[in-house]
Amino acid sequence: MPDVQVLVNDFLNKLKKRKIEGSLATARQTAELLRSVISQQRVPYTNQARALIDAVRAVGEQLIAANPVELAVGNIVRRVLHIIREEDLSLTTAAMAGLGLSAASDDEDDADQDNHPVLSAAAVAAAARSTLRPPSLQTLLEDVPDSAAVPHTSSSGGDSEGKSKSADKSSRTRKLKHDVIEAVNELIQDIATCHEQIAEQAVEHIHQNEVILTLGSSRTVLEFLCAAKEKQRSFRVFVAEGAPRYQGHLLAKELVTRGLQTTLITDSAVFAMISRVNMVIVGAHAVMANGGVIAPVGLNMVALAAKRHAVPFVVLAGSHKLCPLYPHNPEVLLNELRSPSELLDFGEFSDCMDFGSGTASPLLHVINPTFDYVPPKLVSLFITDTGGHNPSYMYRLIADYYSADDFVVQRRSPTGR
Amino acid sequence: MWRRSASFILDQRIQHDAASTSKPETLSLSPPQTEASHMAASVEPFNQNPNPKISAYYQTRAAHTGVVTPDWLAQAQAAVGRQTEDLPSPEPDLKESDSGKSFSVIKEFDNWRKQPDLAEAVAAIRALAAVIRVSEATTMMELEIELKKASDSLKSWDTTSISLTAGCDLFMRYVTRTSALEYEDFNSARSRLIERAEKFGEISYKARRIIAMLSQDFIFDGCTILVHGFSRVVLEVLKTAAQNKKLFRVLCTEGRPDRTGLRLSNELAKLDVPVKLLIDSAVAYSMDEIDMVFVGADGVVESGGIINMMGTYQIALVAHSMNKPVYVAAESYKFARLYPLDQKDMAPALRPIDFGVPIPSKVEVETSARDYTPPQYLTLLFTDLGVLSPSVVSDELIQLYL
Repeated sequence: MPDVQVLVNDFLNKLKKRKIEGSLATARQTAELLRSVISQQRVPYTNQARALIDAVRAVGEQLIAANPVELAVGNIVRRVLHIIREEDLSLTTAAMAGLGLSAASDDEDDADQDNHPVLSAAAVAAAARSTLRPPSLQTLLEDVPDSAAVPHTSSSGGDSEGKSKSADKSSRTRKLKHDVIEAVNELIQDIATCHEQIAEQAVEHIHQNEVILTLGSSRTVLEFLCAAKEKQRSFRVFVAEGAPRYQGHLLAKELVTRGLQTTLITDSAVFAMISRVNMVIVGAHAVMANGGVIAPVGLNMVALAAKRHAVPFVVLAGSHKLCPLYPHNPEVLLNELRSPSELLDFGEFSDCMDFGSGTASPLLHVINPTFDYVPPKLVSLFITDTGGHNPSYMYRLIADYYSADDFVVQRRSPTGR
Repeated sequence: MWRRSASFILDQRIQHDAASTSKPETLSLSPPQTEASHMAASVEPFNQNPNPKISAYYQTRAAHTGVVTPDWLAQAQAAVGRQTEDLPSPEPDLKESDSGKSFSVIKEFDNWRKQPDLAEAVAAIRALAAVIRVSEATTMMELEIELKKASDSLKSWDTTSISLTAGCDLFMRYVTRTSALEYEDFNSARSRLIERAEKFGEISYKARRIIAMLSQDFIFDGCTILVHGFSRVVLEVLKTAAQNKKLFRVLCTEGRPDRTGLRLSNELAKLDVPVKLLIDSAVAYSMDEIDMVFVGADGVVESGGIINMMGTYQIALVAHSMNKPVYVAAESYKFARLYPLDQKDMAPALRPIDFGVPIPSKVEVETSARDYTPPQYLTLLFTDLGVLSPSVVSDELIQLYL
């Protein structure tokens, strides 16, 4: 336990000081940290999933609070919570089916156990399956399953069964943790290979003699373009430099070393050049549930230009970037302001920006936002590691990866809402 | 080349002929119906909608959401008082005749829906629960058949109410699905169904609280909200925001002819929320200062669009052209299996409009009470299933009906 706390504090520090660059690295480290938390967590005999969920929630809450703008942290925390619930569920139904017992069906446990001594395993599985899904029309007339209902199954199942089960239970204890850790390992693996999986689809989207536009530098975009080049497609790339960090320069250099014909333009020239472009391909920082994109600054302008000239706007995003939240006021709440020194040189402008002399506040303000919000109607296609999707389809992927109970990652308060 | 034909003249002439030949009111529409009405002579008023030309659903809505007058208040109190006495009384009637059963469904439903705070679908489900309670069926299949009959009669009594249809369908679906689970004992299955149906009223109330909670984030300090129509869900949303000490301002449209705006502004003034009334035509004029539009829904259709009080489509169009978000607050039991292709593609729901001055008989009046707003003009739907974009609705419906 003390080991884990040290790791957690260390990671929290790094998040607060913004020492980790990029959502990929953040996602990977978050997943690894949560894996350590889970493996070190001691679980009781009954209600193990609840214990794991609480532990992950406690750590997750702190991580999200450390850097709320880095949505990948929250995404991974929720993915892990979803994994715990799923593994618990599959273990429970497997146990029920295997032993064919009169075990608990989802929420009707306490009331009906006396009345319905035998329920077929298929019915139990079906009922249990329905608890894992978010509340939907079909569960409307049932008791709305509490998130406590899922771990409740394992506990009441444990209580109602005879002593013969206790031997099973200890093996089940170990099994849940083992399964969860295996699944988290798979998650880490997925995160690491997301670039390759996205790049595999490059050949379907980039055709011969096309002109692609991109802004700034994104590793996903770089690998995507190189994969198409390797499949002998010949195309040209326009790179907008991406002020104030000018990472477009680096991308242009990289592309040239791989043998691609590249043109470097300023951000302001995008509107002028967009009519000669066939497709815009960009990376993203995060994708919200409505299909909106949190992208590096300048991309909203590019998206508007593309819409105006009917150029497809394609966004590449790994699945760790999918966030289940709907944005309200994303330009302010999901944005970060960086140092003005990236724009202006403190030396030359010291008199304008000086807070100390004479007047209380200086007349010159510098605003340097990191991100832009691109609304879903400007995006033509999302390419994730699972394939190409419409912006209006994002909710489906989110439903697959996350549970509705985890959207608000906060420890359950004793009063309950 | 394809000019519109002046078919409206032909239509009018046909209508006139039809009206002049069928003088006697509603009972003589077709022979089987008259026989039925003779049989159930004592129960006439309820077996048929008193005036099928006018949508009963919208009449009730108008009654509920019109300006509160002392008469209305007295009526409401009487209805609530009557409600508790009425429940036991339909049951002895049942033993009499077969048509007595459907009689009680509709009467029961009517009683429930008169309560101003109860949603239509809840009233329908309560009425169907009453059918189960008094039914003499001994097998699940028999019960289902009875319920189907009752549900059909309810639906045909008022074809215009979408939440009624949706509520009945939802309950029927639930019944068929739970009967698939192997309940050994018919009686316990039956009691479970009744218990679930009665609990549905709480679900409806809970649904409103969930929706209010979900929409809190979208109301920020200093925002101006445009509201159209009197929706209890939207009122709950605004109440919760006011209770959370958010500072916002509401513009309500007058909502002719039901004067919903007047009622709503009354309620909001009680909460100390700054309110401004607009006539319906002033929406585009004020759209600049508005940050978002909030509406309820009478029904949510498969495409993700909504059916709501007349005027909603107009407001959504204006909001869309000025890039303002349109948020819809609707409970999930309002999802209906309809797919209107245009405005006229629904069962007509007519509502008499009182202009205050007599209109010459040659002048036609558009009396439809509702319109359809296509999904591309809506931004998000707040439901008790969560925040959804319009494209998610059809997914949810498929999940239910598969």
